[in-house]
Amino acid sequence: MSELDSITANIAEWTETNKQFTDANAKRAWDHEGILWGVFSIPEEQVGALPDVNGLDVVELGCGTAYFGSWLARRGARVTGVDPTPAQLATARRMMQETGIDFPLVEAPAEKVPLPDASFDLAVSEYGACLWADPYQWVPEAARLLRPGGLLVFLLNGTLVYLCAPPGEEDTVGTKLLRDQFGMYRIQWEGATGIEYHLSHSDWIKVLRENGFEIEALHELRPHPEAVDPTYYDYVTVEWAQKWPAEEIWVARKRA
Amino acid sequence: MSSPDERVAANVAQWTLTNAEYTDEQAERTWRRDELVWGVFSVPDEWIGDVTGLDVVELGCGTAFESARLARKGARVVGVDPTPAQLATARRMMEAVGPEFPLVEAPAENVPLPDDSFDLAVSGYGASLWADPRKWLPEAARLLRPGGRLLFLTTSPLAHLCMPDSDDVPITNTLQRPQFAPWEVEWEGYQGVEYHVSHGDWIRVLRESGFVLDALHELQAPEGARRHEYYNVIAPTWARRWPGEDLWEVHLR
Repeated sequence: MSELDSITANIAEWTETNKQFTDANAKRAWDHEGILWGVFSIPEEQVGALPDVNGLDVVELGCGTAYFGSWLARRGARVTGVDPTPAQLATARRMMQETGIDFPLVEAPAEKVPLPDASFDLAVSEYGACLWADPYQWVPEAARLLRPGGLLVFLLNGTLVYLCAPPGEEDTVGTKLLRDQFGMYRIQWEGATGIEYHLSHSDWIKVLRENGFEIEALHELRPHPEAVDPTYYDYVTVEWAQKWPAEEIWVARKRA
Repeated sequence: MSSPDERVAANVAQWTLTNAEYTDEQAERTWRRDELVWGVFSVPDEWIGDVTGLDVVELGCGTAFESARLARKGARVVGVDPTPAQLATARRMMEAVGPEFPLVEAPAENVPLPDDSFDLAVSGYGASLWADPRKWLPEAARLLRPGGRLLFLTTSPLAHLCMPDSDDVPITNTLQRPQFAPWEVEWEGYQGVEYHVSHGDWIRVLRESGFVLDALHELQAPEGARRHEYYNVIAPTWARRWPGEDLWEVHLR
């Protein structure tokens, strides 16, 4: 399968997911005022992955219904949302009308973004491009879009989730290593339409370095013990995520 | 939890024992080898580069066979280790095999050597596993000149998570313990204290100590690798599928 096939497959996957969940959930997500990370809704104040975004030019790569972008726009960022799935962008536009928070949306995959070089101070991706686009194409695009000294911040699953996730969607992540780490890259889960990209930490560091980024942090997230188990993205429990990092945030800065 | 000094003392006691049991009698063999290799599967080095004329410090050198190999390649090496028994073995090997270079008896947490005096610091299962990263990484940064490099190898977080409590049993395919846990690990029936650090925490402490990340090499056992005769917890079949050892490559800003 070529990279183009994963773009098409992921548009189909997210058109369906939007119908099932993200469209209906968009109002709740957009109405939230704080910045939350991941399936356990960990507040940014507890993580400290983002700079003060007021006045920054921000691109969200794989924005979906663009709720994350809306949280940054509320804090004074000039946001542009980029996503390849028309259905999710339609939901985002409806939310813009309802909330009055308005920013440009661009229909494109993160592998090839029709925006000029060096036009952003911050690129973010929350389970967006970083999970659904080919890292060997979207990381160079992020580097191109950022100004020198610009920051890239993205959240995705921890490596242990990839290694320990059951093949289908019927079960939650356990403690047995079910697949090899060497060779991890692309995966289509049983019964899924979409194609995900998972890299080892060493490969993330390598692809980021090769594209001119310096690694600033890897935040391995741990939910509050009283957090609630996710109801839709229910592949992992609070109990598991209390012991091992289910989600992690990379922070990398484009060399000046 | 024991005090920092007690942890250093525990590791000196552990390595005095390990030296009597294994590293002393191995020293003749390890000192006579020339190749630079990493870890229990002897992965050939591709990362140290040309060391001719470089000032090199090995942090937690043990019997200093790695230092000896670097010295033969033209480095001016200093070996640092807190265990007198291992340094005695190293001195015996200097006479028997050579070459000679200075040895300093000290824990990597507190090294009596001047600031800005080295171009390269290395540690293979030395300070990297047996010293407190919150102390030895700032020490490595202090010892290195600006732009100086640090390469260190230790057990991977995944291997640590999958190790059984008893070392009579080989590594498993199941997470045996949480990752969110204190770094200090004391194994049953063992005197020493190891430091097991997640990738996120390594990156944080490295950055706080002034290092820039160049690479993390998650080492794979070479095809046909055999189980180490003494450090035998990680099976080669396991390490073909998952990284048993991590080599961090960083430099000082």
